[in-house]
Amino acid sequence: MDKKVKVVPCSGIGKVYGLMAREAVLKTVIELCPEKSETVCLAYIVTGDKEVREKIEGFNCITVDGCPKMCASKNVTIAGGIVIEEIKVLDTVKEHKGKKFGSPTMLDADGEVVISEIAEKIAKKINEAN
Amino acid sequence: MSEFKVGVLSCSGEECLSGTISRLATRKVLEELKLVETVTLCLPLYLAGGTEERNFAKVFPTISVDGCDKLCAKRSTEKYSGKISGFIDVSKIIGDENALNTKIIRNKDLMEEHFEMVDQVAAEIVKMIGSISPDAYSGKTFHGCACGIDPKS
Repeated sequence: MDKKVKVVPCSGIGKVYGLMAREAVLKTVIELCPEKSETVCLAYIVTGDKEVREKIEGFNCITVDGCPKMCASKNVTIAGGIVIEEIKVLDTVKEHKGKKFGSPTMLDADGEVVISEIAEKIAKKINEAN
Repeated sequence: MSEFKVGVLSCSGEECLSGTISRLATRKVLEELKLVETVTLCLPLYLAGGTEERNFAKVFPTISVDGCDKLCAKRSTEKYSGKISGFIDVSKIIGDENALNTKIIRNKDLMEEHFEMVDQVAAEIVKMIGSISPDAYSGKTFHGCACGIDPKS
């Protein structure tokens, strides 16, 4: 059985925080914890297809959301995933008041700093879960 | 401001390069296309949001931009929101080998060739927007072309 933790960002397209969620998750699953984690396309989860439900249902999942709508968390829960941690980008952003993070298209240097911090938080949780 | 508003919905898939290309191409059209006003919606809001989000494709003629042939954005939009006006499968434009690349997904890893792919996909989105029938603009007045001259004047 695949025991990798599923890490799912919202990838929101309207604000920079969605991109920050996306980039933090990709940094985690590609660079920090490739052996212990993987991501699953949130758009695929939204379809409700049987194949994607089988990837999520009953598995430990970490969601990373860019806004209070909590799309990633809600959709993973609907698909039957066990959300062991809901990470909110804004919680980390609050610690960097006055900084410019970039746009929904590209991150600035400060944005990269924040996503590295978020990625470390995700990685810590993944390591605790394994 | 133009009365024409078109919805462009990207899958933004996280598992491979084509999701990043679909997202960046959609953003490019939103930021740079001036002929018509473009709007977008986060796809997962269909389930996490409310009636307003689920009415998106009923209010705006909508084009979906999907990274692969699973066509998640197209299918979800049609399932939860309504019929779309057109769809784009990015893998058909950039090829499966590029589309399914699982190593290069992050923005910071993109190279010149990937931004050229973004431009290619954005051009296809613009072309598709141009092919939308004026009848698709529900509840909006059609004034002919977007040159700003009222054909009735």
